Amino acid sequence: MSFKVIKSGFFSLIEDYGRFGFARYGLSQSGVADEHAYCWANHLLDNHFNDAVLEITFGSCELKALDVMSIAVTGADLDFRVNDLPQTLWKVINVQAGDTLTWSRAKSGIRSYLAVKGGFQSDPLFNSKSVNIRENIGSKLSDGDLLSCQATTKNRAPRVVPSEFIPDYEQNLTLRVLPSYQFDLFNEQQKTHFFNQCYSVSSASDRTGCRLEGQTMAGVQARMISEGICYGSVEITTEGLPIILLKDSPTMGGYPKIATAFSLDLAKLAQRQAGDTVKFELMDIESAQQQRHEFNTFFSINIR
Amino acid sequence: MFNIKLAGENTIIIYFGDHAAPKLAEQVAFYTQQLLDALGNIIIDVVPSYTSLMISYRLSLIDHHDFCDQVEQLLSNSTFEPSDVNSNLIEIPVYYGLDVGLDLDSLLNDKGLKLEEFIAIHSSKTYLVYAIGFSPAFAFLGKVDDRISATRLARPRIKIPAGSIGIADNQTAVYPITSSGGWNIVGRTPVDLSLKEPENIKRFSVGDRVQFMPISQEKYCSLGGTL
Repeated sequence: MSFKVIKSGFFSLIEDYGRFGFARYGLSQSGVADEHAYCWANHLLDNHFNDAVLEITFGSCELKALDVMSIAVTGADLDFRVNDLPQTLWKVINVQAGDTLTWSRAKSGIRSYLAVKGGFQSDPLFNSKSVNIRENIGSKLSDGDLLSCQATTKNRAPRVVPSEFIPDYEQNLTLRVLPSYQFDLFNEQQKTHFFNQCYSVSSASDRTGCRLEGQTMAGVQARMISEGICYGSVEITTEGLPIILLKDSPTMGGYPKIATAFSLDLAKLAQRQAGDTVKFELMDIESAQQQRHEFNTFFSINIR
Repeated sequence: MFNIKLAGENTIIIYFGDHAAPKLAEQVAFYTQQLLDALGNIIIDVVPSYTSLMISYRLSLIDHHDFCDQVEQLLSNSTFEPSDVNSNLIEIPVYYGLDVGLDLDSLLNDKGLKLEEFIAIHSSKTYLVYAIGFSPAFAFLGKVDDRISATRLARPRIKIPAGSIGIADNQTAVYPITSSGGWNIVGRTPVDLSLKEPENIKRFSVGDRVQFMPISQEKYCSLGGTL
């Protein structure tokens, strides 16, 4: 059972939930950028929460199905079509041998997730199938690649995600953040500056970090002794602008951090592109843990 | 003495001091092991560094307040024993030659040292692994003797060959893979530290000690080193 890659697209990667247990040796968490879209794609197919998917960024991707398969496509609307017919996203679709799947351009959001029953079957490295270009672990999709997956025994019912769980990526985004790390070392004026400003996503953003543009914060402490940095940490660089650390970020960094963004809001950030606006708002640890716990329980995630 | 801070929704960071020192690094390594031994089933990842330890934990098993309580109790009840630090001595052969030590010539000039003197200073010490980061299996080693410490290059190199040994301020390190960087390159090891050999990921741990063993160009080449 497999797909043949006709056009690899701008940036298409095999990713799973992430790489855990190796941070002490310097390996990034890696894994999907948008956990919300990813988890729903696997859930629709009754997959394990850690099954590998294809993360397609911006589109320009074309795959040929070589067998009958059940798939689900969630996340961004990249004008996904089968044999040139527009398809409904967030829904199980059965494709036939010879079908052509295309993602051509970003209409809303930027990252689309293709899940197949049982997940893509690449070899894991350090307990994960996630590709990390910065670390030279795996590589992005190339024309001519074969993506193998498990045999599908029967066509699956066309299940859909309830509409209230399908996000609108055009909405203005407010990221909820926890007061973490050096929060107390920033003075009131700096915090007011941070929380009252509407930042915009810089084009220099990638899976390692989301750089924001806006008015610079004055008087930021210079680099400090390097320490562990986690997913969502918001560094303030010496020039006074935030960088939100994402899945492919290194494990250590030396800029002061004012806060840490809530993971389920980072899933929304993963669908924003250069020029989109972002605001920050404080959240407390109790509600963050409660909301994340509910999400984990629903999708049977036990690693986090 | 320690100070626990919130780092993320399932992550805390523990500070053990505020400036890097060998004793503190050993302390961080010691407490990292203590916590892994006691709470290994609820810990996902640990990132020990110069003065701190970051820990992420399974939200399905414990919440922030209970986790902090358990960590605090454990740390309060255990006393640092320097002799108990599980430390390996790792020997790395290095060819210190002007052909592979890209910054060696200018460094010797700046410092007024002969090559043999430099080699003796750099290789006579055992270095402590203070932290691992920047890239996988990149170990920050210290502290380098003041006579050979050197600030980073004003313009970082685009391409530093894998195996290169660098110096930045009082730190030294081996580049496991070819990468960019601003450290002063003083030699190269023929040992493959890249992840092509997956076991290499665990070659260094915080608290380990590293010693560089000078080798000749001939030996370097016979061990598989390239010029």
